[in-house]
Amino acid sequence: MKATSEEVQARVKKLFKDGSIAHFIGYETGSDGLRVTPCFLKSGQAASRLVWNPLCANNLSKYLLDFKNVEGKVGIIVKGCDSRSVVELLKENQIDRDKVFIMGVPCSGIVDREKLLEVLGVSPGEVVAVEDDGDAFLVTLKKGKKRVDKEKVLRGECLVCKYPTPVVYDVLLGEAVSSLPWVGDDYKVIKEQEALSSEEKALYWNKELSRCIRCYACRNVCPVCTCPECIFDKKAPHWLTKANDISENLFYHLVRAFHVAGKCVDCGECERACPMNIPLRSLNKKVEKDLLELFDYTAGIDVEQQPPLTTFKVGDLDESL
Amino acid sequence: MTSQTKSRIIEKGKLTKLLDKLAHDYHLIAPVRDNNVSFRRVESGSEVTLDYINTVLSPKNAFFPQTETLFRFSRDNNGGLGLEQDDEADREHVIFGIRPCDARSLRLMDMVFNGQYKDSYYLNRREKTTLIGLACFDPAETCFCPTFGIDPASGEDVDILFSDIGDRYLVEASTEKGAALLDRFAEFFDKLKGDEEQLRENKKAGLVGMKKLDVKAIADKMAPLYEGDYWDSIGMKCLGCGICTYLCPTCHCFDIADVSLDEGGERFRCWDSCMFPEFTLMASGENPRPNRKARVQQRFFHKLKYFPDRNGEVACVGCGRCIRYCPVNIDIAKIIEDVTSGKAGNE
Repeated sequence: MKATSEEVQARVKKLFKDGSIAHFIGYETGSDGLRVTPCFLKSGQAASRLVWNPLCANNLSKYLLDFKNVEGKVGIIVKGCDSRSVVELLKENQIDRDKVFIMGVPCSGIVDREKLLEVLGVSPGEVVAVEDDGDAFLVTLKKGKKRVDKEKVLRGECLVCKYPTPVVYDVLLGEAVSSLPWVGDDYKVIKEQEALSSEEKALYWNKELSRCIRCYACRNVCPVCTCPECIFDKKAPHWLTKANDISENLFYHLVRAFHVAGKCVDCGECERACPMNIPLRSLNKKVEKDLLELFDYTAGIDVEQQPPLTTFKVGDLDESL
Repeated sequence: MTSQTKSRIIEKGKLTKLLDKLAHDYHLIAPVRDNNVSFRRVESGSEVTLDYINTVLSPKNAFFPQTETLFRFSRDNNGGLGLEQDDEADREHVIFGIRPCDARSLRLMDMVFNGQYKDSYYLNRREKTTLIGLACFDPAETCFCPTFGIDPASGEDVDILFSDIGDRYLVEASTEKGAALLDRFAEFFDKLKGDEEQLRENKKAGLVGMKKLDVKAIADKMAPLYEGDYWDSIGMKCLGCGICTYLCPTCHCFDIADVSLDEGGERFRCWDSCMFPEFTLMASGENPRPNRKARVQQRFFHKLKYFPDRNGEVACVGCGRCIRYCPVNIDIAKIIEDVTSGKAGNE
């Protein structure tokens, strides 16, 4: 059985009632039938606003940072990927496990809004609801229902997701999902890019990153970007100017990719937030692949596991020292 | 505004050739599809796409570039200081395909850059540019330009308006500048066949039911919301990124900085965003807008209160870009509705 909005609502009401939580971070319906928006509750009264469906793309875990100094426990709903960024926040002591109540929901893939609209050939206003239906999404339109194969309309990160069920939680709603049938080689695209020559890589990334408008949405939405003051915002030393050119854009994105190395859990939020359609996941995915190959390390699985870039072993590769 | 004598048509088959000619004679900026559709300089008509609702970035870049060098400085051999300003290219510019909402946004930007202080960089480009608009008959669901008195099928804020009426475009000049351009390229245009008005009316069916909010008294209704908790949940949600401000055709805040190496450097200005913490950070370390709530509140107060108080117009054209691209779905149309309906004060 999959978790439903009603189940989430009932559980949140109960959690408020028995005093387990003082706040809750969840999803509610947004501007149209294909959008959800983060929802912050202080009591169970408005819990009926909460929804859980295959449109709930936002990784809400970053908001936990805002509750660090707030009285009482905060509840949060997390998918598999979101829970992995919670693990990273815990590893870094960014949040206190005792102050967080984690409501896990196994996830069988999130809809890519733009892909769905294209496949259906409709405008967002015509969509009433989207439900999970096994290997397809069941889309309720104003005029009738349509089944759409998941593989055609899933978000990129969901197509390669190996952790559909949260890895950390206090309560799990719905049955655990052990694996997703469509997931194959999650580094296919990266391997193709690795095969390019340095010149071809430079050409590709210069083209993609020249579109960047440096709105910093990718950084701000990133659940593992937690510095209170980012180096890109610092005025002294002024590492990065606001000038928009390829040199500054490249510097920004490469430094960011290295800063989240070993912490990125491929939740896909950077790419989802980017208004300019820059394939940002590829940068992080490459670093993720290297970490796996060099250190047999995968981020966001185990709170006790130390990130390779913050630990030292005598047997470490010399070339990195 | 448009007199019948200035109206012509152009057969769709001739459009690429016209754009070729425009690209040859002018610095032509038009929508191009490359990953997404955006305005950019084109060298030929075949680069241009007209299959879009609106571009991700507004054409404000053509007048107020994201990054622009104001002047260069250098040290000469005698220890003196050399200053050098780029000569503005004296070529005339044409923007083809600007939507009526974006065209209106320029009128709002004019109030800033052509107000008490005359911004020569912006004004030079404005003066040298002819705007060829493209009527909008198939708006997105996030569009609400009628709220601000904008008719998506009208050429009020452009020099020439193209309306796609099926097999041809109806072409109307609404300024002398536009009429002169049409005369110059007269070979591409034909006389009206007579059914154009009817065809346009038919096309306007696509505009029925567009969102139109009441913003008459919005500045007054915003005033009491300065205090209170309406902005709490919006500020909570806000990521503090610059998408809304950078995609907005009316947002115009900028920063100025120098970059210098040993022998010289340049002073440039670039877009800035009130969503960024360092936007108001003072040298002392004090920040009068210390959190996301304060910043998000400022953005909406600027658009819906301060700008109308100063200029008599709301600083929004209803293009819907910020609604469509906000990663957390902060929706200015909903905020306007909350404010005007009184809901905002009662939360």
